[in-house]
Amino acid sequence: MADPKKPRPAFAPWDRRELPGSFTVEETARRVGHYKWVEMRLFEALGGWVATVPELDVKMRLGTHCYKHAWHAELWHKRLPELREMNPDRLTAPANDDVVAFMDALTAPERTDQTIEKLVGVYRVLIPHKIAAYTYHLNNTSTITDAPTIRSLKLILSDEFEDWRDGEMLIQSLLEMESEVRRAADRQAALEAILLRAGGIAGPGSIGFPVASAPPTSEEVLT
Amino acid sequence: MRRHLPADALARDDRFVRWTLEDRISDPRAAARRAVSSSGGPDGSGGSGPTAKNRVGFNPSRPGAPDQARALMHGIFVGELQALEGAGRTCFDFDTGSGTDEVPLELKLDMARQCWDEARHCEISVKLGEWMGTEIGEFAENIFLFEAACNPDPVLRLVGVNRALEGLAIDVFNTMKEFGDSAGDPFLSFCEDWMLADEVTHVKMGSDWLRRLTEKDPARRDRALEFQRVVDRLFSTGGFRGEEKDSPIKLARKFREMAGFSTEEIDVVAEEARQARAEMTDKVAGP
Repeated sequence: MADPKKPRPAFAPWDRRELPGSFTVEETARRVGHYKWVEMRLFEALGGWVATVPELDVKMRLGTHCYKHAWHAELWHKRLPELREMNPDRLTAPANDDVVAFMDALTAPERTDQTIEKLVGVYRVLIPHKIAAYTYHLNNTSTITDAPTIRSLKLILSDEFEDWRDGEMLIQSLLEMESEVRRAADRQAALEAILLRAGGIAGPGSIGFPVASAPPTSEEVLT
Repeated sequence: MRRHLPADALARDDRFVRWTLEDRISDPRAAARRAVSSSGGPDGSGGSGPTAKNRVGFNPSRPGAPDQARALMHGIFVGELQALEGAGRTCFDFDTGSGTDEVPLELKLDMARQCWDEARHCEISVKLGEWMGTEIGEFAENIFLFEAACNPDPVLRLVGVNRALEGLAIDVFNTMKEFGDSAGDPFLSFCEDWMLADEVTHVKMGSDWLRRLTEKDPARRDRALEFQRVVDRLFSTGGFRGEEKDSPIKLARKFREMAGFSTEEIDVVAEEARQARAEMTDKVAGP
């Protein structure tokens, strides 16, 4: 056995974690508040839709996914006070008015013949955007100072990937005619356009700024 | 999507057949069953349905027991479906907050958890129904449970569903578990026991939230408990659930206590069941 008194480095050779990260405490709290707001709106809508969807397998799956997003909201709710935000409600807010417009449009369908619209909004638009924003956050925050956020992001991303696959398979099973494929594509395009104006679920910079220039204004995005 | 969906807007596929209270009252077979029961049956044997005069408990050796169990399993399935829908609507129908027409975030999180549990119960019930030889749509669905889940006051909704109806679910699952044990069906007992564990959790949620949300509002608590009594009475269905030796569904005192019911509260449910049974017996006996 190795000598227990022999000095060892604080970081093992395989531990490549680093201190630098892209987000301050305040920026992290802001993003987490936006995430919580989106997760809340999502789990509420999934819960509300259960009664409006006639397809039995979809109905039961929405009930399951409703809880997962509620749990994500809870994780973010509990993270906020740890980020010096002692009033979690203050930062539980949408990133901008376009995010509100997006969630309003996403949750608008109610009729029993709109299951495709409901599912496309969640599984082809919102969840892929959540995965993108969460992955950007995961890959850019400090692996040492922000470890609690990283743990939540990894747990949540695991759920998101699983739900994305579930939802996509449900959509594929519902598309039986070309007209329904077009319906799905139209719905996706309409919602993507709103989210483009919003800049993503956490506003501009949701997945960073790939072009090394100032972030685009909303007018530029629109044109 | 609008808030507060009316009960008749529940979405179903073509297999489901809805059964209203009016259908039930106007069904000529109900009158025939009453006549058979009061006359002792066409062959003088006392008839075969579980009516007030001839009920013999939930006994697997009874000739009609398998059909009765299948019908009950189908009823459990549609009940779980409506419980799922009701919990989901509570997540959506109210703003998050501390006002009387709002619900706290933590309550919504509990309801979302209940959604997941009820979704699993639906899955379990579908598979158990197949195992027992029934299929979706073989029996009609009434929407009384979801109607209780439509109350505009979140506390009344919670008490009506999580204490009255989920309390009934405790009694039903415990009875079905015992039925599985006595019928030599460990698969049924195993599944019912797992669902029973979830139901105790749901009733406890209802008990805890009733106490927290009405801590400073005794009038609201009284209204909620009165609503619970109304729902309990409605679902006593002529004393079908009770503590008599021949009650098909037995009141599960031990599990209700675990779920936050006091002994006095359980006594009230038992008394309501006795009254409902006496009324049904009078009705069957006729003027």
